[in-house]
Amino acid sequence: MKHGIILKSDMDQWFDSLKKRGKVYGPKKKESAFVFGLVHAFKEMSLSYIPTILPPKKYYLPPKESLFKFKIKPYEAAKATTAFEEFILFGVHTCDIAGIQCMDVIFNENPADPNYLSRKEKITIIGIECLDYCDSYATCASVGTHIHKGGYDIMLTDLGTAYLVHINSEKGEHLIKGKKYIRELDLETRKKWDKIIEEKNKKFKNEFKAELPEVSKVFEEGFFSPVWEDVGKRCVGCTNCTAVCPTCYCFDVIDDVSLNLSDGERSRVWSYCQMDDFARVATGEDFRPGRGPRQRHRYFRKFKYSVLKYNKYFCTGCGRCTRTCMAKISLKETVNGLLDEKRGKG
Amino acid sequence: MPKSKPRVAFFEFTDCEGCQLQVANLGLSLLELTKVVDIVNFREIMSEQGKNYDVLVVEGSISSKHDEERLRAIAAKAKVIVALGACATTGGVNNLKNLKSLEEQKKSVYGNVIDPVPDALPTRAIDEIVKVDYYIHGCPIYGPEFLKVMECILLGKPYKVPQYPVCVECKQNENICVYEKGLFCLGPVTRAGCNSWLPNYGNVCVGCRGLIDNPAANAQKDILEKYGLTVDEILEKFSLYCAGKKDRAKYEKEIKK
Repeated sequence: MKHGIILKSDMDQWFDSLKKRGKVYGPKKKESAFVFGLVHAFKEMSLSYIPTILPPKKYYLPPKESLFKFKIKPYEAAKATTAFEEFILFGVHTCDIAGIQCMDVIFNENPADPNYLSRKEKITIIGIECLDYCDSYATCASVGTHIHKGGYDIMLTDLGTAYLVHINSEKGEHLIKGKKYIRELDLETRKKWDKIIEEKNKKFKNEFKAELPEVSKVFEEGFFSPVWEDVGKRCVGCTNCTAVCPTCYCFDVIDDVSLNLSDGERSRVWSYCQMDDFARVATGEDFRPGRGPRQRHRYFRKFKYSVLKYNKYFCTGCGRCTRTCMAKISLKETVNGLLDEKRGKG
Repeated sequence: MPKSKPRVAFFEFTDCEGCQLQVANLGLSLLELTKVVDIVNFREIMSEQGKNYDVLVVEGSISSKHDEERLRAIAAKAKVIVALGACATTGGVNNLKNLKSLEEQKKSVYGNVIDPVPDALPTRAIDEIVKVDYYIHGCPIYGPEFLKVMECILLGKPYKVPQYPVCVECKQNENICVYEKGLFCLGPVTRAGCNSWLPNYGNVCVGCRGLIDNPAANAQKDILEKYGLTVDEILEKFSLYCAGKKDRAKYEKEIKK
């Protein structure tokens, strides 16, 4: 079966069957926001949500991840952490799935990262399609991530009283196998689905003032743009934009030794280009001083460098950086600012 | 034969002893610590008083001539000096005393009487008098950071105080930004290392660990102004914990322009 249908009233029992395969993590309400967390029952989740504070990246590349444990007295060769848990991510937005696809590119690059890849192998993704904007910060249409393009095992589309179930992998197939309440997509529902998608496509419009090739071009020419000076003046350096980005993957490696001075653990921890000492080296030299150049670097990592290196935009349009910025630095305004500047010149 | 354990002594100056209390409250970790160090002086948990030690942990700021002499004397015997808590590392809240002249402050505290504290001096952090090897910031200190510093001392390596703001930890803890609740928080310009202790419980960061090296004071001011605060009110927010000489220098050059 490629496309199935499940009634909303059957979601509880399907969810319970998923739990038997492993833990399920999904979007849950936290005060005025949402976070991915452990879910015990289907009703605990909020499937209509604005992107969570941290993206599901935290399950692929945890903020602090143990790499190996070591012993000094008596010396014992370190053994890498190899045991990873099997679990399901439920209700992942298409933008966040696009983010995970970006991470896949990075961590598959030679030398491939065994921790990331082992984790990934154990994770099953059940996505949920967005039929409308979550809020005005999202720029998913500009990069096309409002439409799913693989990277998941199952995708759910809300059809009112039921969900369309798109099965995209063998893992996904296993999750619906033998479930009599999930039936094959019929012609009538297919028409209904087409109509819903037609309505959806009317709602999403490119949020930038130009198409991506032109955006990429203004980045090529806009390295010295006054836009960066303005952004740098407003930036308070809190690092939130990089913390919440689904495609930021920089990390630092640290050793912790316990008080017995023998048992230790090496971990990798998130590190951000917006940190003051990120580009500072042993002599004290700082290769990227100032908040303007740092912000510029962040944008270039999304719209230029990754395009040159991987032929891929590393912005997923999730809107998190804009949503979280207390200085109200907006990705949409920054990119449109660069476009305006170029057009003004032309 | 194991090497003899390093001897650790705690001394206090102008402070509330709350940071030592945090150490006393470490529970099992404190017992673990005593397996690798000898605590020879710590009046909150023991009555013995050792005269010799390797590691000197100083709590409190220096605010009299007598304090200064005592600090120099106890520091001379130590191999390693640790500043424990905001009062010792930056002067902490005691810096408020320096916002006015000593005469004015004495008058407002004691009234028109014969000077009861002729020995008093303006408040100073301990590194204005002796060289400090390890800094444990905070009011009070964060217990796990104290243990991390002890671990570094035992390994003989430096402890790097985080140079990034509290927001880094706060975001990783997935707290709702208190700015979204309309509150004013100093997290964006304050040194991390406390695991965003206050925001984890829905409170605002008050800047007790002091400012990061390069706080974007002007950008922070712009943000606070949007919330309707005047420059004086903003400076007042900084002044509770960040009125020390070094911290003032960090923001005044930007804000007072």
